[in-house]
Amino acid sequence: MIRGADVGLATCATCELVVNLGSDGAPPDAAQGEAQGGAQGEPWRPRALCPRCRTPVRIRKRNARTHAIALLVAAAALYFPANALTMMHTEQFPVARDDTILSGVVFLWERGSWELAVLVFAASIVVPLLKIGSLGFLIVTTARHSAWRPRARTKLYRVLEVIGHWSMLDVFVVALLTAVVQLGRFASVAPGPAVLPFAGVVVLTMLASASFDPRAIWDRGLSRGLSRGLSRGLRGGLRE
Amino acid sequence: MAALVLCGYCDTVHRRAAFATRKAARCVTCDAPLYRGTGDLGAMLAATVTAATAFAIANVLPLLQLTSQGQQTRATLWRAIVASYDSQLPLVAAALLLTLIVAPAIEIGLLLWVLVPLCLRTRPPGFAGTMWILHTLRPWRMIEVFFLGVIVAVVKLSAIATAVPGWGMFGVAVMTLALASLSSFDQGVLWHRADEVGR
Repeated sequence: MIRGADVGLATCATCELVVNLGSDGAPPDAAQGEAQGGAQGEPWRPRALCPRCRTPVRIRKRNARTHAIALLVAAAALYFPANALTMMHTEQFPVARDDTILSGVVFLWERGSWELAVLVFAASIVVPLLKIGSLGFLIVTTARHSAWRPRARTKLYRVLEVIGHWSMLDVFVVALLTAVVQLGRFASVAPGPAVLPFAGVVVLTMLASASFDPRAIWDRGLSRGLSRGLSRGLRGGLRE
Repeated sequence: MAALVLCGYCDTVHRRAAFATRKAARCVTCDAPLYRGTGDLGAMLAATVTAATAFAIANVLPLLQLTSQGQQTRATLWRAIVASYDSQLPLVAAALLLTLIVAPAIEIGLLLWVLVPLCLRTRPPGFAGTMWILHTLRPWRMIEVFFLGVIVAVVKLSAIATAVPGWGMFGVAVMTLALASLSSFDQGVLWHRADEVGR
């Protein structure tokens, strides 16, 4: 397996063009290659402008782990008010009720739509927890250069990317109910104080997983300098 | 360099192979999708036009029809947004406006801006910038979540009124499918075509 960082290749984050970061036509000098292309040193420093779309090309995302940790901690902090406070206030004379996310799920369950109850429970309660937990796990294991099942951890990251925005479900439900019920005037529904922290959790976890760099999962070999000699041998061949 | 592909998840270098299906080629190291086979610009344009039509339907026709105590209301997206704005709920109105009208309108508009000239073999003005906006907006597309949200809302509404989905919902469903099918095309094809037709 040859890795892009070993041979001075990087993908433009915007247009996905593969860019050769080794200086044009210069001999693949080992020291120079290390300064310009290696994953050690400062792989997040922009190396070149993409010749196609003119955005900076980096070997790794900028401050990936620091950004991911900061955003994740903020998301975890907001998770508590998001679940403890009222998400939705409903009034239909003479009954008034305040629903948190969990009691909203119970409400759906009691109305007989257990499928939707399970769905909302998964999207609003399980997914944010899962995202915070697994991204934290990925950050810790990459920081420790863990060699534990990198393929499975990459898969975990891809799952996080896909499920990321589904947690917005409850925010939409509250917004829709509020807006639609305003038209009917037979009841009143108002969003509660939990809506903003909840939306905050979703947005922050999405930003956190976007700023994490999954290639860090596979970078442990590089950081120990294992593939260095191998990559120098291959560099010349790929430059053709 | 065009013959090589780097895996975005593990940085493994692959040699690009030509194949015809829209199934994704997968990374040998980590099994993540690398790129897809041929991307047909005409099919992408067709999906975008479908999304645009469905978007118009979703905006104009009622999403829900509510009945409570003999009183009937047709809830279109616009009326719901205006009503929540009038009821001192500007945040709700802004959130719905942004995710359901502004974001899809921008995405569909920019896709048309890029696809129509490329299909006619000219390079659209501001191509790189437009592609950057599309690329940046894509993870924030929420229309499919909204679709599910309407279904949950209908069930919750059934406690206080009878709610029947209207034709606007059909529009939302088709727009969701059309935009989702666009993500199964390889965006690299757009760049290739743009390179072909020159700067």
